[in-house]
Amino acid sequence: MKLKKHIAVLAALSAAVTLGATAASAESTLNIVKARGNLRCQVGPPSPGFYNLDANGNWYGLDVSVCQGVAAAIFGDKSKLEIQSVSSQARFTALANGESDLLSRTATWTLTRDTQLGLDFVTPNFYDGQGFTVRKDSGITSALQLKGARVCVTTGTTTELNLADFSRKNHLNIKAVTFGDYNVRDDTFLKGGCDATTTDKSSLAGNLQAFPVPSNYIILPETISKEPLAPAVRQGDNQWEDIVRWTVFAMINAEELGITQANVDDMRANATDPNVRRMLGVEGNLNEGLGLDKDWAYNIIKEVGNYGEIYEKYMGNGPQGIGIPRKGSLNALWTHGGMMYSPPMR
Amino acid sequence: MAMIKAEKTPERSAPISESSVIGWLHKHLFSSAFNTLLTFVMLYIIYLTVSGVFSWGVLDATFVADNRRECYDNSLTGACWAGVIHWTNNIFYGRYPREEIWRINFGGLLLVLWMAPLWMSRVKGKVLVATTTVVFYPFLASYLFSGGDKGFFMQIMVAGAMTAFALNMANLLAGLFRSQGLNSFLIKALGQENASDKTQRNILLLLAGIVFGVAFFWQMGQTLQPIVWTKWGGLFLTLVISGVGIASALPGGIILALGRRSKLVIVRVLSIGFIEVFRSVPLITVLFMATTMFPLFMPEGFVLNKLVQVIIAVVLFNACYMAETVRAGLQAIPKGQYEGAHTIGLGYWRTMRLVIMPQALKYMIPNIVGSFIGLLKDTTLVSIIGLFDILGMLRSISKDTPWLGLHKEPLIFGAILFFIMCASMSKYSRHLEVKLSAGRTH
Repeated sequence: MKLKKHIAVLAALSAAVTLGATAASAESTLNIVKARGNLRCQVGPPSPGFYNLDANGNWYGLDVSVCQGVAAAIFGDKSKLEIQSVSSQARFTALANGESDLLSRTATWTLTRDTQLGLDFVTPNFYDGQGFTVRKDSGITSALQLKGARVCVTTGTTTELNLADFSRKNHLNIKAVTFGDYNVRDDTFLKGGCDATTTDKSSLAGNLQAFPVPSNYIILPETISKEPLAPAVRQGDNQWEDIVRWTVFAMINAEELGITQANVDDMRANATDPNVRRMLGVEGNLNEGLGLDKDWAYNIIKEVGNYGEIYEKYMGNGPQGIGIPRKGSLNALWTHGGMMYSPPMR
Repeated sequence: MAMIKAEKTPERSAPISESSVIGWLHKHLFSSAFNTLLTFVMLYIIYLTVSGVFSWGVLDATFVADNRRECYDNSLTGACWAGVIHWTNNIFYGRYPREEIWRINFGGLLLVLWMAPLWMSRVKGKVLVATTTVVFYPFLASYLFSGGDKGFFMQIMVAGAMTAFALNMANLLAGLFRSQGLNSFLIKALGQENASDKTQRNILLLLAGIVFGVAFFWQMGQTLQPIVWTKWGGLFLTLVISGVGIASALPGGIILALGRRSKLVIVRVLSIGFIEVFRSVPLITVLFMATTMFPLFMPEGFVLNKLVQVIIAVVLFNACYMAETVRAGLQAIPKGQYEGAHTIGLGYWRTMRLVIMPQALKYMIPNIVGSFIGLLKDTTLVSIIGLFDILGMLRSISKDTPWLGLHKEPLIFGAILFFIMCASMSKYSRHLEVKLSAGRTH
């Protein structure tokens, strides 16, 4: 624990030092990336649904798709990408000192981070929130019934603090049982070492699928925290920030307009909807402000897909998906009552 | 009563209690009621453990499945080794492109062949073999593993390595079948036994030069596909880091230890400072310093990749530990040895090389190997700073969607692998001790 503290202090210190050092570098990130010939996109240690390694050593996941989308927008080729997996202690430093061009790794957008770490969050690509899983036979159906319960939680994250806040606010006197590793936390929960386990709902859903008998457990309806997860870039390069932001928006917008990986060629050739034609670069000059080619958005959809497709693949019920239902959640399109909303592309 | 007989008393066999199985059992396990009780209790505990592990790990285990759900469908209580099996390539080679894996295997095979003569008593010229391993192999291996365009220096080194390897293998064969060194074999084959030393040397150099020329021209046409270091991983990466660490920690340690015992004040103070600074910080801090702080002190645009930074950190850290081990060995040498060496007119370096070090190294072997084992295990810390060494890979299995939550089996597999590696190192060190008879005096 002490070690972790040392590391955090060290990381914060070096982040502060680099901030001063890199503010002076004037070269635009887009030019650096183009000259280098690949995008360096930072993710974290594997995290189900967002970024994981498959058995062949390839990265996949929702956040990896954002990296691929940006690479496709710049180069027209999603494979011109170097995924860097950086520990959470070093994540902001690695972005600040220019090692990474982009951070796409389930970082929660908070005021402190946005204002004090020298980075800018672009726009959430996933809305998460903390919840609870309990055994079905416990009879608990609401988090407010967890009075005096022992709750398994991973230590050193905001999860633990949120749990304490929730317990205090509702006078529940919850006893937190803390773990360093989420696998051990879940094992303990499965063996009856605690009454509930808590973490972000996306992981709860994923982990639930991995339980021996998933139907014996339920995820409680309450969400006790707001976790808007957003890609982030270094502060001070607005063009680059726009590129990443509008890559995410292009994916969301494509879903709204019904453009998919499969029909994007057809749409570009035959669509009459001016919104589609503008977005795919058939007419207008949306690309000029971004400093990209005319078919930047086309490339994103062609190479990676629209938001709905990506969600289904990695978060939903695709072969590599972790089975989190999208319908009715914050991650549905705004037209379906969710929060996924792209400003107009015109 | 005559106690002394003229003829020898016939030999009797050892009493039954000493020689038979039952006797042994009685003596060691059932010598009293309490010991008997203890024996049975222990037997029961061993039975519980072994049968539990066996049924979890073998009887109820699933070896073939496409995802964890299939493992559960097969058995809820058994291990799911299928995940580890699916991930074999990741565990051993990391993200290295699958069609290029032969390069890693080939590199490993080369090293084994290269070093093999060192263990064969009939082969001559071991010092030269060991030197070429240290000088040439790292270049050949680093090119083999990373590929890409060769600079001129790299071309020379690669060709040199191929020459050295070819000569080494020829020497091995000459040693095995003729029990002589390659040099004397060639001279004899060319009928030049009676030529002067200088002529013989020139002939040998010419032959080596021809081999080098052929190797140089051949390698010019060969280019391997470049593979960026971020694709390195798994056991391969662990062995690269600890291999470089092991190979450079000992020489570094010897230099630092000599520096610490030096009579030159500046050398001594610098060595002490260096050793104490690195020894008093945890390795993980050194790693973090190397990967996050170090780039900040460098001029802009000076980029060392993270792997090199990590390796430098590991080498420096372990050289300091090694220095203390070496110093301990040096202190075990009685003063008389130094005085004796001075008496026969040896200078500082020759005293060290011919008299002190050969004796001191014997005493150090257990500690040196202990450090090496520690180093091998410490290397897994690099997974914390985001390199996918073997531990990083094993831990990633539980995050891969088909194997979500599968974390015990990979770690147990890793434990077995590390046990095999460390136990064989430790066994080899005991063998060395006996061979160099360092153990005899203790």
